[in-house]
Amino acid sequence: MISFTKEQFFIVTGASSGLGKATALLLNELGASVIAIARREDKLNELKSESKNPDNLYIEVKDLTEDIEGLPKYVKSLKEKYGKFSGMAYCAGIGGIKPIQAIEMADMETIFNINYFAPIFMTKGFIDRRCNIGQGASVVAIASAGAIGCDPGMTCYAGSKGALISSMQSISREVVKQGIRINCVSPTLISTDMAGEIEREYADGKYPLGLGEPIDVANMIVYLLSNKAKWLTSHNYIVDCGAII
Amino acid sequence: MNKADFLVELEDILQREEPCKEGDNLNDYEEWDSLSKMSVMAYYDKNFGVKVSLKDLQTVTTVEDLISLTGGKISD
Repeated sequence: MISFTKEQFFIVTGASSGLGKATALLLNELGASVIAIARREDKLNELKSESKNPDNLYIEVKDLTEDIEGLPKYVKSLKEKYGKFSGMAYCAGIGGIKPIQAIEMADMETIFNINYFAPIFMTKGFIDRRCNIGQGASVVAIASAGAIGCDPGMTCYAGSKGALISSMQSISREVVKQGIRINCVSPTLISTDMAGEIEREYADGKYPLGLGEPIDVANMIVYLLSNKAKWLTSHNYIVDCGAII
Repeated sequence: MNKADFLVELEDILQREEPCKEGDNLNDYEEWDSLSKMSVMAYYDKNFGVKVSLKDLQTVTTVEDLISLTGGKISD
């Protein structure tokens, strides 16, 4: 059984919906203190009211793409407020299907800012020795099975997630000596707000166990954040019920 | 840049909880590893236009030695 204490603080980005919300709720239910970050305050308040231990769920309203280079300082300011972090689940992200013919540079920038650059700079802040607990600290970034095998129209999205997987592996090698573990989790399409009409059409009949729910991915994320996964680092874990094999 | 400012910058580059002092032996710092040396190389290049090699950094002992690698670009 995985359990945490309220002295263990975890950052969860994208906490207002989908995988981030499921992760924040699960961590909180298992006893951890959660710093829930998202843009929408009303959704974060909803999250708090749905949580099992609302006293251990702290809300931070923030647009992570506003000043990406300033994110390490932002993480440091959170550390000053809450103390050293045990882990971070980077779940913020956007999807979007667009054929190559329709792609403009601005589309790529929008997607890469939140899916790639922001998690890199949040991780840069997290791995600072002064911001995390050292031995046992864990970072999980949400990538996508689309980085391994994808459908048409995913140039920007799959590219951003593939880049994230590669970079996180390199970072994991840099911090392993400090006892920090870094992994990616790559789900296929999950039943969240991000799953649009075209994505659902692609998914039709593809999943032997049906379309995944946010909790199916959150369980994996929380496991990797926990001490039960103390021997796991530098990898990308595909959560797809065997669909992309 | 003066020495006091540089010592604060160095503390940040090395992600140290304790302040850096001019007479400190870098080899006493647990943070002084090959990655932090690469971070110093990048910092020197960007801020002083000075290219130092990993070999240069392997030969320095104290923070003072590190300062002297800038060739006088850090004032008292």
